[in-house]
Amino acid sequence: MRSRLLLSAVRGLWAHRAVGPARRHMSCGSLPLEELFARSGPLRTFLERQVGSETPLQVRGPELVAVAKLLTEKERELQETEHLLHDESEDLRKLAENEIISCQKEIAQLKHQIVLLLVPSEEADENDLILEVTAGVGGQEAMLFTSEIFDMYQQYAAFKRWHFEILEYFPSEIGGLRHASASIGGSEAYKHMKFEGGVHRVQRVPKTEKQGRIHTSTMTVAILPQPTEINLVINPKDLRIDTKRASGAGGQHVNTTDSAVRIVHLPTGVVSECQQERSQLKNREMAMKKLRAKLYSLHLEEETSKRYNARKVQVGTKGRSEKIRTYNFPQNRVTDHRINKSLYDLGTFMQGEYLLDELVQSLKDYANYESVLEIISQKV
Amino acid sequence: VKLWGRMLRALISALGWRGGIQGCAFSSQQPHLTPTGLLSATELISHWTAVFEKRGIPEARESSEYIVAHVLGAKTFQSLRPGLLTQPLTRWQLRYIQELSSYRLQRMPVQYILGEWDFHGLSLKMVPPVFIPRPETEELVEWVLEEVTQRPHAVGAHGGPLILEVGCGSGAISLSLLSKLPESQVIAVDKGEAAICLTHENAQRLQLQDRIRIIPLDVTLEQNWAHLLPWGPVDLVISNPPYVFHRDMEQLAPEILSYEDPTALDGGEEGMDIITHILALAPRLLKDSGSIFLEVDPRHPELIGSWLQSRPDLSLNLVAVRRDFCGRPRFLHIQRSEP
Repeated sequence: MRSRLLLSAVRGLWAHRAVGPARRHMSCGSLPLEELFARSGPLRTFLERQVGSETPLQVRGPELVAVAKLLTEKERELQETEHLLHDESEDLRKLAENEIISCQKEIAQLKHQIVLLLVPSEEADENDLILEVTAGVGGQEAMLFTSEIFDMYQQYAAFKRWHFEILEYFPSEIGGLRHASASIGGSEAYKHMKFEGGVHRVQRVPKTEKQGRIHTSTMTVAILPQPTEINLVINPKDLRIDTKRASGAGGQHVNTTDSAVRIVHLPTGVVSECQQERSQLKNREMAMKKLRAKLYSLHLEEETSKRYNARKVQVGTKGRSEKIRTYNFPQNRVTDHRINKSLYDLGTFMQGEYLLDELVQSLKDYANYESVLEIISQKV
Repeated sequence: VKLWGRMLRALISALGWRGGIQGCAFSSQQPHLTPTGLLSATELISHWTAVFEKRGIPEARESSEYIVAHVLGAKTFQSLRPGLLTQPLTRWQLRYIQELSSYRLQRMPVQYILGEWDFHGLSLKMVPPVFIPRPETEELVEWVLEEVTQRPHAVGAHGGPLILEVGCGSGAISLSLLSKLPESQVIAVDKGEAAICLTHENAQRLQLQDRIRIIPLDVTLEQNWAHLLPWGPVDLVISNPPYVFHRDMEQLAPEILSYEDPTALDGGEEGMDIITHILALAPRLLKDSGSIFLEVDPRHPELIGSWLQSRPDLSLNLVAVRRDFCGRPRFLHIQRSEP
């Protein structure tokens, strides 16, 4: 009973965007963060040691200790108040109920704060990012699905008030999408999007299917954090820029309209292309942006793979080959396999608004949970 | 040429979005009628690509993609939404595409066919025979912006520099500098009437007309420079002057030879005719340690270096040469030495 109340309170905290209808469509496993705070569990022990210790281990130790103390106080307060629920006076019982609800809210908030203090922020969390979508197995149907997923993220960016700029777009003949990439920028864009990378699977009767059979097709999403000027410095000598003007006299002697640009980073062989714009300079800027993101994600890979090695929720290239989500149209269901969570309103989900946001939040929470587990297992 | 250009301009504007139907009268006379049943954008692109290839039109695919994208309201094929690619086109869209493609069959540059092109993030109106800006020149603008914002003292530009552009053409250089340097003012000169008109129009479209003074002027006539003295002295002189060696002119593609104003390209025997005029006269208008930035032929850095040495009276030094994206020495920074 207690946990269910708390659960809803905890959800209430995160659900300011995800009101009402979202909850009805959810089928959710246990909330991992609650497990963490189980009595006499490892996190409790860890926090007690931090409170008792003269020199806390954490960088943000003093803050953590203060919040941990507050949590203990609030929990005691809650316990005491709960006794009043059995009081004879109905007024007092009502009062206690209200008190308990506000207490639980505060407790949930404190727990959330503790997790945020424990989880180290990653180098790229605040950065912008490059989204790449590529059709996988399933021919035209996979390309149609890729186009829908790309639209979903474009709408999600609008929902989050992020900037969304298409860098390249290679459509298929029947209105699908072979490959596309976009630059996404805004508050904590990478932090939200980083767990979207991986193989997305669709199960439905394709538009192209004449006999009404259900097909399974796939597409891949890659999320590359965009480095800042300081994060990554590229030596111009390491770049080869290919254009259609490479031969001949150039300048006033030639008038070409092919403004496509291809940049090769010679030491790594990483290639980036753009032909989205009529201005060659603009294409070069966009290709460069993509190249920087690719190189930066290579650079981050080592560090990240260390941290995420044993986790269900992966980021970076390691997670790219993993099947992370299924969109099942006949059942109107989307399931994230990493956290075993299903939502039953596919249409709304693919509008890229509160339902997608809710799943993103759940993934972030789960990643935080895994991260906290790691920290306490290291330090207890 | 001028008359024909004007005719074309009128024709193209008559075929604009609203006036598409007027185009019918012409389309019936054109060869390569669109086969019936070919109705979607992708199919039309394939059709016209094949026609262009057969007729030896360069950049066949790019040309048909730009034309179809333009008629569908996008700048590039890649930026068209997928829905638009498979949707059947309306009758007037088909006719409009047919019309524009027929100009391409006559080797008209795509930029003139569309009546607009992009330069350094700006969309500019393009009208024959005014010189079509090349992508290299975007790098010249980049270089000037870099110097002005990072080393204002070194180029002699303080605050918003006062810039003189010689041979403004469509206004590409001047307007892109103004759009990036909000404190700056530009004096743009050109001897061609069509160029002066087009720069005016592009300045108006981009709402930059208040910071640009556009003056019809032939820099090869010495007394003309006197007209500029009241506006100076200037911090920077920038130019993409005609620099093609006269003997190379006949090798240029039909797109250039039959449509672009040859005086915007032909730089005389060694491509230096206009360049030397600019260099000889710029010191009179430049502030002390003011700079000249030029786009030139790859053979020019050496030629201009020795020419400057033979003219110590000008007090000009070639301080830097920069290569374009193809690795050719293409841009010069020449500075007036302090007295």
